[in-house]
Amino acid sequence: MINIRLLKAINKYKWDYLFLLPKFILFLIFIALPVLWAFVIAFQEYGIFETIWTGLDNFINTFTGDLFYIALWNTLRYTIIVVPSQVIIALILASLINPLNRKAQVFFRGAFYLPTVTSVVVIAMTWRWMYNSKGLINYLLSLFNLGPVNWLGSSDWALISIMLMSIITPPGVGIILYLANMGSIPESLFEAARIDGAGKFKTWLKITLPLVKPTTFYLTILGTIGSFQVFTQVLLLTDGGPGYATTTLVHLIYNSAFRDFDFGFAAAQAIILFMVILMFSLVQKKFLSSDIEY
Amino acid sequence: MGLKTAFSNIAKVTVYLFLILLALLSLMPLYWMFVTALQLPEQVFSIPPKFVPTAIIEFFPLITSGEQAQAFFLLSEAFRSIKVLFTKVGLQHWFVNSLIVSVTATLGVLLFDSMAGYVFAKKKFPGRDFIFWLMISTMMIPGQVTLVPLFILIGKLGLKNSLGAVIFPPLAMVFGVFLMRQYMKTIPSELLEAAKIDGASEIAIYWKVIMPLSKPALATLGILTFMAVWNSFLWPLIILNKDYLYTLPVGLKTLQDKNLVDYGLLMSGASISAIPMILVFLFFQKYFIKGLTLGSVKG
Amino acid sequence: MKKLVLVLVGLVFFVMILVPSVMARDIKITIWDAPRWREQGNEDGDQFYWIKDRIAKFEELHPGVKVELVEVPWKELGEKLNIAIAGRDWPDIAPVDISGGTVKLKHLEQGVVEPLNSFFTEEELADFYSGALESYNYQGHLYGIPTSMTVHALMLNLDLFQERGVEPPKDGKWTWDQFVDKMKKLTFDRDGDGEIDVYGFSTYILKGYYEAWPFFLMDGARPLSPDNTTYTFDHPEAISAVEKFAALKFKHKVAPMEMGGADVGGTFQAFANKEQRTVAVQPWASWAIATLRTNEKYKTNFMVAEYPVGKSGKPVTIGGSGGFLVFKQSNPEKLKMVVEFAKFITDTEQQYTFAVNYGTFPARKSAQEMDPFKDNPQMQMAAKMLKDAITVPRHTNWAQIDERIQAQLQLVLNGEKTAEEALKDAGKQLERFLK
Repeated sequence: MINIRLLKAINKYKWDYLFLLPKFILFLIFIALPVLWAFVIAFQEYGIFETIWTGLDNFINTFTGDLFYIALWNTLRYTIIVVPSQVIIALILASLINPLNRKAQVFFRGAFYLPTVTSVVVIAMTWRWMYNSKGLINYLLSLFNLGPVNWLGSSDWALISIMLMSIITPPGVGIILYLANMGSIPESLFEAARIDGAGKFKTWLKITLPLVKPTTFYLTILGTIGSFQVFTQVLLLTDGGPGYATTTLVHLIYNSAFRDFDFGFAAAQAIILFMVILMFSLVQKKFLSSDIEY
Repeated sequence: MGLKTAFSNIAKVTVYLFLILLALLSLMPLYWMFVTALQLPEQVFSIPPKFVPTAIIEFFPLITSGEQAQAFFLLSEAFRSIKVLFTKVGLQHWFVNSLIVSVTATLGVLLFDSMAGYVFAKKKFPGRDFIFWLMISTMMIPGQVTLVPLFILIGKLGLKNSLGAVIFPPLAMVFGVFLMRQYMKTIPSELLEAAKIDGASEIAIYWKVIMPLSKPALATLGILTFMAVWNSFLWPLIILNKDYLYTLPVGLKTLQDKNLVDYGLLMSGASISAIPMILVFLFFQKYFIKGLTLGSVKG
Repeated sequence: MKKLVLVLVGLVFFVMILVPSVMARDIKITIWDAPRWREQGNEDGDQFYWIKDRIAKFEELHPGVKVELVEVPWKELGEKLNIAIAGRDWPDIAPVDISGGTVKLKHLEQGVVEPLNSFFTEEELADFYSGALESYNYQGHLYGIPTSMTVHALMLNLDLFQERGVEPPKDGKWTWDQFVDKMKKLTFDRDGDGEIDVYGFSTYILKGYYEAWPFFLMDGARPLSPDNTTYTFDHPEAISAVEKFAALKFKHKVAPMEMGGADVGGTFQAFANKEQRTVAVQPWASWAIATLRTNEKYKTNFMVAEYPVGKSGKPVTIGGSGGFLVFKQSNPEKLKMVVEFAKFITDTEQQYTFAVNYGTFPARKSAQEMDPFKDNPQMQMAAKMLKDAITVPRHTNWAQIDERIQAQLQLVLNGEKTAEEALKDAGKQLERFLK
């Protein structure tokens, strides 16, 4: 009886389900299944031929070893420096570009977005060349009687070098989102401020800044999630070195998985990374989106 | 009044100068990449660095002074790295692989995501909200979580060492479904009703009504997907281990691991990999921008 | 319109159906190889031409057999191979050893590599040096075919010695103090601009590379206890050696800023590139001898010397062996052919070719008897060193252990940790891999 009703229901909505089916199957196989599987592997020692259940060992090993803390600390430092820098740079540039005429807007928007359309691999390779001990940056420094700096080879500079690359590569996405947001602020608000005799900076501070808060929030969250996963530039520029000076969480996961072949350990670390990201996003949500629902 | 205008003009010029300076700074690495790529091999490391490739500076003076042979020799020297990449390294295979992977994944994503987005936006069926919520909730999970299981899974599916291994995972990405649903929600339902009354089939409604109206969202999603797959690195790095199957970013990493100091060659490879994305961007700029703003709207 | 949908769907699945290569009835052998020497007289030459040539000859001899070459840089070889093994997608043949740096001993126990004893007669095996065979022997099975042995040695740029009037070490032997003394003399400011132009010594520290390691062993230290169960690189004789080595950079200032970094290519260029030549002495594996002798760009007036003698009273160096492994086969017919090919690329003639062009010592006596090193004093010197060379420990997790030690050594050479701190920290980190 129920079967017939079920069949009837399915028949009624068959087109809906058919339309959904391809994506849903792909989703189940390539996202849902691996996510669930990750939570299984994290409790195993996964071998090529045999797999052993190890309980919480992988998690315990992560928290008792010192590499995880080194990687977490490096990732945090990277995030704390890079994310605010990118957001602030985007905000300043967008604020400067916004009042310009249409053509100038398009030009600058394009100029600042262009460097980010190429892959991080390309950008990192170029920077590796510029950071070479006989490379462009050391040459420019030598013009001011500075350097040479061992950019990628010394622990003091290596992480700074990676951060610098991320900061100087312009925050194209941020600029565009801020511009879109600023463009949608009603002109009447500025009009009112002008009548009140507010200067340009004051108008910016009192009207623009609060009204772009949703974008600030969105960019901060997005940037944080991205920064916590910083990997490609690390692999190509320093491979985590010297020592462990630039080992980040994802670099650690990559090493555990595809250099040490400790799949369970890597899965456990990835899950911990997920939790850390989740926690940060929640904290940021609490602090940044207090009054505006977005 | 005159003073004030002058002052505001100075401010304006300052802003322009400042922006231009920063734009130059941010374009600098790309410029330097191209310069190194075209530099004569023996001048790559020269100090002070040459900010314009020698062959380009000297080409026209040599031509006008009648030394054609010398001019073209210089030019061919400048393109030597690029020639090596195509004749010795086999960069064209990587290029073609990247193209196949990006185009196939993009077409697949457009088709499947628009189909799913359509029913999520315009249909009511049992389980709709549950399934949508289920899919969206995985967007927060970082890719590293699925890295290891996916690696094992692809092996079990027998897709290892095929381009399929690089195509399927992006096909499953949820972001596009979300984007299409958001956009399709803005299409008036009356249009669909009207088509239905005219006796259009479900497929016809989707293909002839929904799809044409969703063009901006499709263009956006297409470009974002293409860019993401073209530039993706970690997953192909792990899953492809034959040099002729590499995509460009993976091939470039191999190149770096092989020729640690031949920066002319490395920068030529990087340039060739960067140029298609730069062209796509220059031609479809507005879709990039629309895509970013569409994608950030929360539902 | 339905057609269009079909076309789109078709396009997506096109790759899925077409790309996994169509199973051929012929035997297809996959070999991975890494760059070797370039063809003589062709500076842009293909570094895979030797194996390509072998493949062509073999396919000619065995119709119906296809050999597929996958080119992998040395730096990626271990990682790629391990990923392939983890995904049960290994090649048929790969140029690695079984020391634990790449293929793990655990993999041998799990049967990832084919034992080859049954494919060699006693007589054939007698042609191999026992040391070479030993390095491919595990629990009584022969895993792979050894082709070559290498040794690490110091390369001395004699032009720079002459320029500074420094006497090269007699017979290539020196004590640590003599070594430091000469390095000081070789470090100088050529053009008087106040900046050092030439340094006495330089090298790099990177996982999987052992150029610097004989220095760390000179006072008698070893990374692991003889039974491989205990970490011993934090003993006083290790600490003192690492301290002395770091002093080259920080106290004696005879090494450049880059010393102890990870830039292999840049280090070699500084020594050998005609445009640079800014370092007088560097340690290299013996392959460098061939490059420094024959490559137009790097041809150098040089000699080979031993590592300086420390407290242990004896010169120390690290040797290694190279060869090809045959990976697990399911089809006995194919296995035969794969082994046939592996033998084909490791016969006496090939080992002689390697010795002449690639700066390695043959693993076969018959190849050595062809006298590949006549008129080659540098290789003759290195051959003497090879006799007493020791190997890195053979531990199933050596790659992980090595990585942790090397990372800490980098920190010492950056002046960020003392030798004692670094070596003790390494011990803590690698503990779980010794179990």
